Amino acid sequence: MKKLLAATGVMLAMTVTSVMAAPSGTFRQAHELGFGSSSSLDPISKGRVFQITEKIMSRLVRPDTTGKPSADLAVSWSANSDATEWTFKLREGVKFHDGSSFGSEDVLYSINRVLDPEIKSPARSALKMIDTVEAVDGSTVKFTLSTPFADMPLQLMDYRIRMIPEGSGDTIATTGIGTGPFKLVKFDAEGVTKLVANMDYYEGAPGVAEMEIIGIGDGQARVQALLGGQIDFENTVTNLQRPMFENSPKFTMTAVPTGNWRGLVFRTDQEPFTDVRVRQAVRMAADRNELVQLVMGGGGVVACDTPVKPDDQYRAAIECPQDIEGAKKLLADAGYPNGIDVEVYVATLEPTWPKLAEAYQQQAAKAGIRVTIKQVPSDGFWKEAWMKKTVAATRWNERPADQALHEIYLSTAKWNESFYKDEGFDALLGKARRELDFDKRKALYVQAQEHLHQTAGTLIPYHVTKLYALNSRVKNFDMVVNEAIRWHKITVE
Amino acid sequence: MLTMILRRIFLGLATISIVSLIIFAGVEILPGDACTQYLEQDQADVELLEKCRDDLNLNRPAHQRYTEWALGALTGDLGMSVNGEAKISDLVGARFANSLLLAFFALLVGVPLAMLLGVITGLWRDRKPDIIFSTIAIFAMTIPEFVSATLLILVFSVWLGWLPGIVLTSAGSPISEFFPEILLPVIVLSLVMTAHVMRMVRSSVIEVMASDYVQMATLKGVPYWQMVFRHALPNALLPAINVVALTIAWLLGGVVVIEVVFNYPGLGRMMIDAISDRDLPVVQAIALIVASIYVCINLTADLMTMIANPKLRTMYLRK
Repeated sequence: MKKLLAATGVMLAMTVTSVMAAPSGTFRQAHELGFGSSSSLDPISKGRVFQITEKIMSRLVRPDTTGKPSADLAVSWSANSDATEWTFKLREGVKFHDGSSFGSEDVLYSINRVLDPEIKSPARSALKMIDTVEAVDGSTVKFTLSTPFADMPLQLMDYRIRMIPEGSGDTIATTGIGTGPFKLVKFDAEGVTKLVANMDYYEGAPGVAEMEIIGIGDGQARVQALLGGQIDFENTVTNLQRPMFENSPKFTMTAVPTGNWRGLVFRTDQEPFTDVRVRQAVRMAADRNELVQLVMGGGGVVACDTPVKPDDQYRAAIECPQDIEGAKKLLADAGYPNGIDVEVYVATLEPTWPKLAEAYQQQAAKAGIRVTIKQVPSDGFWKEAWMKKTVAATRWNERPADQALHEIYLSTAKWNESFYKDEGFDALLGKARRELDFDKRKALYVQAQEHLHQTAGTLIPYHVTKLYALNSRVKNFDMVVNEAIRWHKITVE
Repeated sequence: MLTMILRRIFLGLATISIVSLIIFAGVEILPGDACTQYLEQDQADVELLEKCRDDLNLNRPAHQRYTEWALGALTGDLGMSVNGEAKISDLVGARFANSLLLAFFALLVGVPLAMLLGVITGLWRDRKPDIIFSTIAIFAMTIPEFVSATLLILVFSVWLGWLPGIVLTSAGSPISEFFPEILLPVIVLSLVMTAHVMRMVRSSVIEVMASDYVQMATLKGVPYWQMVFRHALPNALLPAINVVALTIAWLLGGVVVIEVVFNYPGLGRMMIDAISDRDLPVVQAIALIVASIYVCINLTADLMTMIANPKLRTMYLRK
């Protein structure tokens, strides 16, 4: 009995120490130094280094590992019946790194900063539906929207919209004070930025004691640093570099789907693509599986002309195998029995575009679509080819489903690159935004995507997958989209 | 002598201004500018683009911008960086110091080593030491730096784990923080440099050893080593001054490839970044600095050769 007790005691002690283990070790990661010496810790500025802000500041809502909204600084939320007023209940007892407590006035301040036209934050477009934000009490805030918006929590998950202390706007770029699991010790954008564990983090002390976020502008140099053990994690590994990590016991490698896509835009306001049958034909002629293999070396997920990312809760499950006969027939019906000639404009600013155009050229030729590839200088591409020429390559980075559909396809959208005008589609999106029931809302978004697959002028053959390479000494690392990684969980050996 | 020096200085200044004109024109005719680079996809919005150009003063005619910049540079004001909104002299200063640091260590290792090896291979011409070192030198010279750099990273940092593969320290850090990260770039640079200088020294040692006065000394019974050190080497090492000078200029001008491969925060990498950002004022400033370095160092080297070689001095005096 005594032995048993002693054994239980030891086991208990072991569990306790493993739970209570003090943070230890250093996790090191690179950032791309995209904005050089104008890099900043202001989460909503163009020069924000999100590899740092994501670890020192929290959002109101964050995605869980499956991408659904879950509580961060807001613990619960609800909307009025037409989704124009949203009330968020805030977490109580949370402290900023400077010791001040977090409350509704900080939320008001942080959100109003994003909305302030003077600040010109690129994050503004994510929250532009917000009219006013007010404090109901110390731990409740209410958003009043200019249009119904059923997925307000999704918008607040944006990786840039992080809470900072009231009135800290002028200093936040260098102080980096937030409520996140790590605190800033030293900010050096072009060198090594040092973070230390925030022992008062509301989810408990983090697993690692220190973090170093290092500015390395060159992609090849980052991979060398990872191989040489100078950094622990990198998520811009290319398919060519894959074998260096894949067969090594020192590294773990994972492919994570993203919402980033590349494709070809056929302007719906230009002949012959004013005819919906021609638009269907040019998309039907593509063998998307083959494109993923040929262009991306397998690093992509097939898409059927939907901009919604593969693991999004609103993604429509559509099948779109290549159909040469169908494409020929559609072209003949539209009055082009001898096929059509198409000039596709590309540039090397996106290195995969020329490959995509060449592979598509071969595939489409079988359906009588004769593609001529026009390569123009990268510098003039966005100004002179994109949205100017009848057919041009395009690329978009990931956005929430609603935003992707609105920003690229709504009749009135500024960057409606295919000049797509469809009242039925616009109406579907409007209805979805008002629909508070998740299943019904999902049905509407799915319908909108299916409608695009029927009528759109944009060929979206695949979404790009990102390759994560991680040093094996790092444990408990969520191999999910960057925005959902729980940085306080990870530990190092 | 004095008129000669003044003439050289004037020629140097002329070279620098011509270089700055060429660079300005070169970047100017590249398609795109700082604004199209900054706005990316958003540049399709003409209003945004025009506003950005107004903000950055890019809408004025090129000759106006050039004159303004050149006058500023004369007074030591290199202007503001387009993207960083920072003073270029501040940005460039730290980078230049880093390039100096890298050059200093590479020279410290490279030059004495090259001299020593050059003398050895020259004296033992066509025998074992010469064959071994000359072969290595040919490899060191002909393998491009980025290949030898990558190979060294693979061996010393990835396989053996002895040295850090790339430099993580930022531009303004104290010198001590660059250790041990700076070692691999220094090794690669010294390899290339040693090979070049060594071959130069070798051929000039061979030439001198075959000259009449060395044979005369040998015939008169001067002991071999005394003859080598007192009579042969001082003359043999003279031509090396010019090669070393060119090497110094090459090192200070920012060894672009090496700096990019090792992520070293020096002038060369800054130049590359500035060109891809179309940050014209920074490109201009660096080009100006590098051109000035070349001119100054060549001038110094010529003067040193003249001091060491009386023949060159009297040639001018006779005129």
